[in-house]
Amino acid sequence: MLLPKARLRRVLNGEEVDRPPCICPGGMMNMVTKELIEKVGSGFPKAHMDSVMMADLAAEVYETGCFENYGVPFCMTIEAEGFGAKIDMGTGISEPHVVEYIINSVKEWREIPRFSHRQGRGRVVLDAIKLLKERNSNVPIIGNLTGPMSTASSIIEPVVFYKELRKANKEAHELMTFITDQLISFAEGQIEAGADMIAISDPSGTGEILGPKLFDEFTVAYINKIIDSVKKAGIPTIVHICGQMKNVYTQLNKLKSDVISFDSIVNMKEARENLPDRLLMGNVSTYAIEFGDPRKIAELTKKCAKDGANIVSPACGLGMKSPLKNVMSMLEALEKEL
Amino acid sequence: MTISKESLLKKLSDAVVNMEDEEVVEICNEYIEAGYPAFDGIMEGLVDGMNRASQLYEEEEYFVTDILLCSDAMYEGLSILRPHLPESELNKERLKGVIGVVEGDTHDIGKNIVKIMLETAGFEMYDLGRDVPLQSFVDKAIDVNASFVCLSTLMTTTMAGMETVVNLLREAGIRGQVKVVIGGGPISKKFADTIGADGYSPNAVKAVKLVKNLLNIA
Repeated sequence: MLLPKARLRRVLNGEEVDRPPCICPGGMMNMVTKELIEKVGSGFPKAHMDSVMMADLAAEVYETGCFENYGVPFCMTIEAEGFGAKIDMGTGISEPHVVEYIINSVKEWREIPRFSHRQGRGRVVLDAIKLLKERNSNVPIIGNLTGPMSTASSIIEPVVFYKELRKANKEAHELMTFITDQLISFAEGQIEAGADMIAISDPSGTGEILGPKLFDEFTVAYINKIIDSVKKAGIPTIVHICGQMKNVYTQLNKLKSDVISFDSIVNMKEARENLPDRLLMGNVSTYAIEFGDPRKIAELTKKCAKDGANIVSPACGLGMKSPLKNVMSMLEALEKEL
Repeated sequence: MTISKESLLKKLSDAVVNMEDEEVVEICNEYIEAGYPAFDGIMEGLVDGMNRASQLYEEEEYFVTDILLCSDAMYEGLSILRPHLPESELNKERLKGVIGVVEGDTHDIGKNIVKIMLETAGFEMYDLGRDVPLQSFVDKAIDVNASFVCLSTLMTTTMAGMETVVNLLREAGIRGQVKVVIGGGPISKKFADTIGADGYSPNAVKAVKLVKNLLNIA
């Protein structure tokens, strides 16, 4: 039987595997639940700010038999906070989120402070990765980035931002370049700390909101800039985009990531038909994982693999109240199929 | 030579569809100076344009960013034409709705679009914003005598808040007078039924039809 890291590596190399890996990258794709927190005895929101607690929780996800990876952090506010946005750290059952933006227009992008990942919560993430590196070396460590569009719409009101993509196109690009360059150095920091893979989630950059042209011009272009740089370090990437894809498959296929991940609204069979040559990840409904039962989740998991997912994962971040037995039923279903 | 009313209405409608918020102001001024009724300018010009935009949205020719820019143009025009409405029209009672994103979630693009569409359809909307404490929906509904409440979330973690709002409306004794419609990424018709909401809408255009149906004004 293959060990988790080897199995994932084989999938990424296009080699045959015994079964798809079952992973949940972290970041926007939260994999920590209330039950798991109780098991470890260290909780949210403290673990968002403490590298030891962060590493312990991430390790527990694997050790309990939920997913075959480590992944940090557990939210998508690290970058926004680094760029100066005010964050509410959430509770044991709700995620940290932005409560105050920094600028009122993309034209003010020069006023945004630089994001240094060597301090604050960026540092916490890097230290957590280092701690995870000392754990089981057969488990892949996934570092996470909030995508450029989502980071941008966390430091400026999204409605204003979306409008200015067209109305202040030049400055919107300047802002995106400024943000992307620092996301790249955060990714480099994570790789240096020991991340085996980088996942970029860009839920605000969906084709449904932007339409094909802006999706191509902003989402794809800036994510690819990050991927180019991560690739140089020899590290593979996952990109997760939310929403319907049917209008943007052509543009989506331009993403240079090794893996593309979707939310549950995308039919895996349809995605497979539209992206025949790509490695796909997804997309077991997180609603089912939170409110369904293990039998139903096992069925969804098997269907997902059958319909063409190379890597099976939840479609989105897990709801904090998802029962552990439900979360674990994904991996169990895949192992049983063997 | 004065330009005909019809051609000005068409220009107004086109300016909204084409997201030309500066041009719309010029045309509105020209329309008022020519002495044409503000009400028609709003309904057959601006709202007509917004309806065409939502048609394009439904056909997936337009996307959220387009709708935001179209609505900017419509609101710019409204701010010019509205003051010229006759007293009777200004004071006319419109059906009221409360809208917001439930506590714990700060994503509000979808909610904003729904609000735009409902305003275009003639409802008076009270927008509570995002991350809204659940009791606020009930308080506002009582305060403005709302006919309906729209709740949205994009996160599974905050869905349960919607059921709480339904229960709070019941406890306040106004559940019978207020229709509850819900929407957002993880929401489904089944979930709406489970929590006792009156309806679910998968998108903004259908939300208008749903509200109208529920209020028997279709």
